[in-house]
Amino acid sequence: MTLRKVIYTPDGALVTGEGGRLDRLRSVSERFARTSELVWCLFIRDFSGRYRQSILGIAWALILPLATVGVFLLMNRSGLVTLGEVGVPYPVYAMTGLTYWTLFATGVSACASCLINASSMLAKINFTRSALVFSAAAQGGVEFLIRGLLTGAVFVSFGSTPHSLALALLCTLPLFLFTLAVGFILAIVGSLLRDIINALGTLLAGLLILTPILYPVAAGSPLATLNTYNPINYLIGFPRELILYGTASMLAAFLASATFSVLLLLVGWRLFCVAQTRVVERI
Amino acid sequence: MSEEPLISVERLGKKFGKSLKHNMLYGVADLTRDFLGQSRRGATLREGEFWSLEDINFQVRRGECLGIIGPNGAGKSTLLKLLNGIIAPDQGRVEIAHRVGALIEVGAGFHPMLTGRENIFVNGAILGMSKEEIGKKFDAIVDFADIGAFIDSPVKHYSSGMYVRLGFAIAAQVEPDVLLIDEVLAVGDAGFRSKCYNCIGHLASRCAIVFVSHAMAAISRLSTRVLVLDHGRAVFHGQPPEAISCYHRLFDARVQPSRQGLGTARIHSVEFIDASGRKVRSIRQGQPLGVRLAVYSQVAITNVCLDLVFVSLADEVVAECNSQLSGMSIDLMANREIQVLALIDSFSLNAGDYRLSALVLSADMVTHYDWQKDVASLEVCADRVGVAGQQYRAQWTIEERASMDSKEAR
Repeated sequence: MTLRKVIYTPDGALVTGEGGRLDRLRSVSERFARTSELVWCLFIRDFSGRYRQSILGIAWALILPLATVGVFLLMNRSGLVTLGEVGVPYPVYAMTGLTYWTLFATGVSACASCLINASSMLAKINFTRSALVFSAAAQGGVEFLIRGLLTGAVFVSFGSTPHSLALALLCTLPLFLFTLAVGFILAIVGSLLRDIINALGTLLAGLLILTPILYPVAAGSPLATLNTYNPINYLIGFPRELILYGTASMLAAFLASATFSVLLLLVGWRLFCVAQTRVVERI
Repeated sequence: MSEEPLISVERLGKKFGKSLKHNMLYGVADLTRDFLGQSRRGATLREGEFWSLEDINFQVRRGECLGIIGPNGAGKSTLLKLLNGIIAPDQGRVEIAHRVGALIEVGAGFHPMLTGRENIFVNGAILGMSKEEIGKKFDAIVDFADIGAFIDSPVKHYSSGMYVRLGFAIAAQVEPDVLLIDEVLAVGDAGFRSKCYNCIGHLASRCAIVFVSHAMAAISRLSTRVLVLDHGRAVFHGQPPEAISCYHRLFDARVQPSRQGLGTARIHSVEFIDASGRKVRSIRQGQPLGVRLAVYSQVAITNVCLDLVFVSLADEVVAECNSQLSGMSIDLMANREIQVLALIDSFSLNAGDYRLSALVLSADMVTHYDWQKDVASLEVCADRVGVAGQQYRAQWTIEERASMDSKEAR
């Protein structure tokens, strides 16, 4: 058996010594299995590490989303929200949107700082670094599931029933891919230019207000025009309409946004691959 | 050995930026170029950049251990990072076996809140082991780390020794083709260090080792060849004893003599001489050494004390030769120079480079007439470097060779 070797040159790394195509396929699938195991390990490490040494422990994962539900119920009772007709009780509308938004916002912010948080490890160990981004994006996924359950409870308490749930969940995938894509790009750019991480919280808050997530946007308004070019609008709006009304109006735009997400993911992935060693030496 | 090398490094170069701002700007520029698939213009230095490593060439085969030594900032750690694939070269190439183990600040990636047990699995996965693999080696890891009941405590409660032991135990289980070691043997107690040596000795026959250390004793024990780096360049590549003395000579140029004291009596010259009276700057360990001093005084001083102090590279005072303590009485006359010779029968300091400070003191050793720091330097040569500062060349005799039977009979 020939020895597998790696060649590092200024133009990147190259693995040699793999025999035929079958051998290469096996090594790729082996690497994939290892990486997914690593992603899982890192995810569990961060998730369970975060809630240690706190009295409430894992309950924290529920408390913050519960607080949001409380706020919306209170706003609804007080009649504060008069944002126009959405066809369903407002808390149901807002919570559904917010659940999707969480997937994006939590995932993206975790990705943006994941390389910097692991800087000591990156500087000393050679491992599959993309695992850090995947496991950070998975945090968004978990937050999404937890909020999803609570939103289900809100549905029940208002006597609403979700439509086409399975299809809507399937249509969440493009949003996750979009999150990963932005995550890969921010992980790289954010660790070179720390400004991005400082500004990210504000940027996300602004984006949440500009995107029709907590309220519908009146057709023809400047905000609506702006949102025509906002992929998140469709990536969240489409599955939400499926859940709330059973039909969705923006199929073409959703498909275009999904395609855009896939392309952006390819770009982000390539950026990450070519840039990772550059970034590690500057972290 | 006819086997192909496990590591081969050709014309390897790496540059870094001096300031954070340059780093950031060049980083973005390089990234853009990489992303667009343009080749890097790695060979030229941009403003504010310097070569951290330049034109490094070597090969390491299975069973060999390459020691890397050099002053701080010579590029040793950069070289290990390049070999490990953590950073990419700007010039040349590194060809290295796929399975690389690294004992470089072990324990990186531990989560302080998780227990030792949990961290073993996470860290193992980071180092590329599968869950079954770690499961199989779990007992060996715990055994090696020797942390007993603490295995289920969060690692933030570990002592620094336990932390390193656990990290080393995991890293040592990787079974690599190439092992990179950076100064890990400097930590831990004696028991752990002996374990580490045994572990490395066990791996040495099966893999190629690259070993960075400031401990010359460890370098002289483990290395089959040594590369000496200085300011990013290879200044020597060869056998350990020559390499170690080359490393020592690097410091000679950096020694800055300094002078304090009243100045009424002064040491005019200091030289080392060997048994035959020749002036030398290096001697074999265990040979006689003479130190010849010329001392001039403006005033008469009775019963003056001449003191010679030997200081190691690590700035430790390792030996002293004091005329008062030797019971020698020396008187200085006004405006006269005297020549003094101090002869040491068998100069038995550990192999290494030493600087000499010479002092002229009053009889009670309180008044300092002259105090010359680093006035001369001396190299002590030996085939092997010992651990302790003093190396006694004892007379070794075997007095009895008892058989197992007679021992048991007792």
